Amino acid sequence: MTKTRPTALRHACAALALALLATPPVAQAALYISIIEGLGGMPEYAADFRSMREKVVAASESMTDADKLFTFSGEAATRTAVLGHFADLGKKMQAGDRAAIYLLGHGSFDGETYKFNIPGPDLTHGDLKDVLEKLPGGTHFLVSTGSASGALVEQITGAPAPRDDAPARPAARPAADAAAESKYLLIAGTRNGNERNATQFGRFFADALTVTEADLNKNNSISIQEAFDYADGRVSAYFQDEGKLATEHAQLRGDGAAQFNLSRLNALQLKTEIAEASGDDAMTRLIERRQQLDAQIEELQLRRNSLSSADYLAQLQSLVLQAAEVSEQIDAARGERDVIKPELDLEIPAGGGLGQ
Amino acid sequence: MGSRRRKLPRLLRIARLGLLLAPAAADLQAREPLYGVLDDPGLLACEQQYWRGETAAAEGCYRSLSGSAGSLGIRAEAVWALGDLQAANGLFQQAVNAEPQNALLRIRWGELFRRTYQYDEAYKLFNEALAIDADSAWAKIGAAEAAAEGNGDPEEINGLLASVVENGLAPAGARLRGLLMLLHNALRDDEFDKADEILPEARRVAEEGGLSQLELHALEAAKAFMQLQPYQRFVDRALAENPAYGDAWAIPGYYAMITRRYRESGDFYEKAVALEPKHWQAHLELGQNYLRLNQVTKGVDHIETSYAGDAFNPTATNLMRMLQVFVNDMEVFNFPDPPEGPFPALSLRLDKKESDVLKDYVRELTEASMRHYGERYRFTAREPVVIEVYPNHEDFIVRSIGMPGVGLLGVTFGYLLAMDSPTAHPRGEAYHWGTTLWHEMAHVYTVEASNHLVPRWYTEGIAVFEEWRSGPTPGRKIPLNVYQAMSEGKFLPVASMDDGFMRPSYEDQVIVSYMQGGLIMDFIALEYGVEKIVDMLYYFRDGKPLDVAMPEVLGIDTDTFDKQFKEFIDIEYGKLLRNLPGWQADQKAAFEALEAEDWQSAVAAGQRGVVAFPDYVEPDSPYVALARAYSRLDDTDNEFRTLETFWQKGGYAPRPLLTLAEGYTARGNSEQAFEVLKDVVWADPFSQELHLKLGDLYLAHDDPALALREYQVLLALNPPDQAQANLKIATAFDALSDRDSAMQYLMQAIDIAPTYREAQALLLKLSRSTAADAAASAP
Repeated sequence: MTKTRPTALRHACAALALALLATPPVAQAALYISIIEGLGGMPEYAADFRSMREKVVAASESMTDADKLFTFSGEAATRTAVLGHFADLGKKMQAGDRAAIYLLGHGSFDGETYKFNIPGPDLTHGDLKDVLEKLPGGTHFLVSTGSASGALVEQITGAPAPRDDAPARPAARPAADAAAESKYLLIAGTRNGNERNATQFGRFFADALTVTEADLNKNNSISIQEAFDYADGRVSAYFQDEGKLATEHAQLRGDGAAQFNLSRLNALQLKTEIAEASGDDAMTRLIERRQQLDAQIEELQLRRNSLSSADYLAQLQSLVLQAAEVSEQIDAARGERDVIKPELDLEIPAGGGLGQ
Repeated sequence: MGSRRRKLPRLLRIARLGLLLAPAAADLQAREPLYGVLDDPGLLACEQQYWRGETAAAEGCYRSLSGSAGSLGIRAEAVWALGDLQAANGLFQQAVNAEPQNALLRIRWGELFRRTYQYDEAYKLFNEALAIDADSAWAKIGAAEAAAEGNGDPEEINGLLASVVENGLAPAGARLRGLLMLLHNALRDDEFDKADEILPEARRVAEEGGLSQLELHALEAAKAFMQLQPYQRFVDRALAENPAYGDAWAIPGYYAMITRRYRESGDFYEKAVALEPKHWQAHLELGQNYLRLNQVTKGVDHIETSYAGDAFNPTATNLMRMLQVFVNDMEVFNFPDPPEGPFPALSLRLDKKESDVLKDYVRELTEASMRHYGERYRFTAREPVVIEVYPNHEDFIVRSIGMPGVGLLGVTFGYLLAMDSPTAHPRGEAYHWGTTLWHEMAHVYTVEASNHLVPRWYTEGIAVFEEWRSGPTPGRKIPLNVYQAMSEGKFLPVASMDDGFMRPSYEDQVIVSYMQGGLIMDFIALEYGVEKIVDMLYYFRDGKPLDVAMPEVLGIDTDTFDKQFKEFIDIEYGKLLRNLPGWQADQKAAFEALEAEDWQSAVAAGQRGVVAFPDYVEPDSPYVALARAYSRLDDTDNEFRTLETFWQKGGYAPRPLLTLAEGYTARGNSEQAFEVLKDVVWADPFSQELHLKLGDLYLAHDDPALALREYQVLLALNPPDQAQANLKIATAFDALSDRDSAMQYLMQAIDIAPTYREAQALLLKLSRSTAADAAASAP
């Protein structure tokens, strides 16, 4: 007996096919990532910074090609080397490219100048502001996780740092305000230059790039927003658990933090899956199919505002069900599940959830 | 008030605004007798009419006086009597400007400030009068009253009072006012013997001075009521002198209120406002009393009436603000709903922002307490138990006592109790809401079972005892300062226990008395049986005092009891008390070592601390420091064992317990993890981590209904991971075979996180079930 796809699903699939045909090709903007590990000063801080750098490097490898990932640590992390690197980068980057800059280490602020502590002369806020202004391309991201880093944000944006008693990040701030406040995406581990204790924020931020708990929308990617929220929450919990008054309050400035990813959690998993499937054409097709479906879901989300709610949900549900089915088949093929249903046989009501 | 400026505290500033905006009322209001302070014949004629209850005639008299060409001071008195306090203030100002050396004018102006609750300002005016006339008994008595009402220095107040009362040359009226003040103090402190000494002297002074005895009669009525004696004849005497004297009932009403006899208090205040409809203080007390009896509409009416008549009163102002919270921010849940009888067994009044989190837990714990206390104290609630939970501590305090700034956690008024929400305190503080609820619920039963006649110390002792014996986290929990007091021999004889609550003589005595009360009950339960505690409660209900009840119930007098109790304390705590300084040093050293990140030293000090005093499990316990040090040393086994002992001994700090639950889960002991997490609910129900873990455990234990509750609370807490919370709820609904609800939450999860594999899998499962059902029902 031959089963046919129910009418609603056929319509949904047809709509999806049309939508895919209509989607313009996405320009492949490049992401350049620069990671600068500062001086620890004491062995435990040096170990912390090294661990943070390793996690950030691993996360960054999932996001960009090796020739676009640059790391400076130890004696090599001099002001001359770092500024020379950014000068080179300025020549390589194109309009539409983006830069992500990590400053992992201590900072200091003397009331006028923010300095990121590296061997030899430190990087100043003037250096870093100059770097950001001279890099071509779109919205760039800079995070400085350490002490006094709030002063860097203040100096780059020109917007005064929050007072010591002010909330670091006002809730539900309109995106337009955030964008007007900074043309870059900036994160600092402290709310101003007066928070001078060594911070906890950095290690939680590095952790965020590697743990699923930080992936709130479960898309296997960690955005700047997700990483910030995770680290900020962990810092609060840390001080509460230790029974101490919080000596640091992280801040995030700029618009589009939820759209700028810093890590793909499943990159390694995908590589493994593809490697395992090598020679198994059926499995390879399934994995590729699921990747296609995930991409279609992502693309559908981007078009959400152009669709009615009912159309969006119907299309989304269709794609999700197909992805679920493919996942089930992958699991079953690996012997992790017992039963495979070979074909979708579902009635999907248009414009709403099943059973509603 | 005109030119007088001063710094006002925030809430009084509201009252000040009321003063500025209050309409120029111009009708006769409740007032205090002059007791001879003034001798103007015109004014005295009006006063006589007023105090005979001839209010219409008195009003006409005052009106005539206010428009006369008499002295500014007398015109001020007249417009004051008519209720135009602004005009009175202006006239007194003019009068003082005209006669700056007239002490009496400043005294009367000070009395006007007292009348408008501005006690600091009043006190200054009385002292200005004393600077002019150092012997003025009127200034001294005014200063004493202003200082007492403004929480002034007790020694100074007593000194001022003594200098008037013991001065035979002082005016009789001033002495009478002093004696009345002493009489009030004696009744407030339940010192009836002292009151019996003061009363004849006050009567003699009043008679010899030809002064009004109205307040004396009312106080005698109050005293008789408090001592369970007939009181009507005293009220009748007052009303015979002045049929419109509302205080004849309002004064007994006040004493009924402070002895927690709210029904009688309400009856008395009703009679007071019936006699004297412009007795704004009586309306206010009556309104508060109705709120305590959960008669909200009547309560609001009387508070609004009071505020409209006397906007100067800061308590009225605070209550008006609190009523906005009460009406707009709170919602009521009745259980069962609909009620099985004439009324629900339980009503919860919760803040709308928190009700989704708290409702089920408050209900669960309250119902458990009702079962326990009903059985233990042989009493069934005759009215709905009403629980109010306030996220703003000051709202709770104003609701309870009218004025903010008091460090209470919960208050019980018969069947109604109000308490702080967990959110009224910063996370991580040692506020345990479950224990507070359990404590207050004990009062509901002991107070009602004894017909409100249980002594204060006895009901507090039972409440603390029940915290330790049957509460959500059992085990004796005694703060360090109480051990200190114990070691210094500061425990009171049992016959004087109420003094520790009502007349504390050192800073920590109230908390020391709570704990001593709990230990006394623990001792009785261990030595004589818990039933004896209950038996004694019913002796109190029957009006028998402790010195009668104790010999009859326990077979020993109070002195013998004190000896036995001291032996008990020596056995239980003697060794600890002798070593207390050493233990305190270790406890401090453990936390200081943690701060310095010296984990080994923290372990060493923590170990000494827990060995020396294994039962100390407050959040600053050495167990907590020790476990944290082990954690930093990656010694998870010792960390786990330390936390396990901490919990088993009654430790309740939420973060250590969450860590312990993880330890149990990691060791495959989900049953114990369950028990630990359930304990955390009573300490910190706003922990998202808690509800996620509890929900997962319930689901694993095939209890999807309770899992659903936990996940719904999680979602109500607005967690960062909304997709997960929605999926969890959907999973629980699916387990309950409620596919529609499951789908509703699942789609929320998918909308947030479309590539969420677990959500995708559940969607597939639900879709197949729907398709299968459709196929099965197809013809």
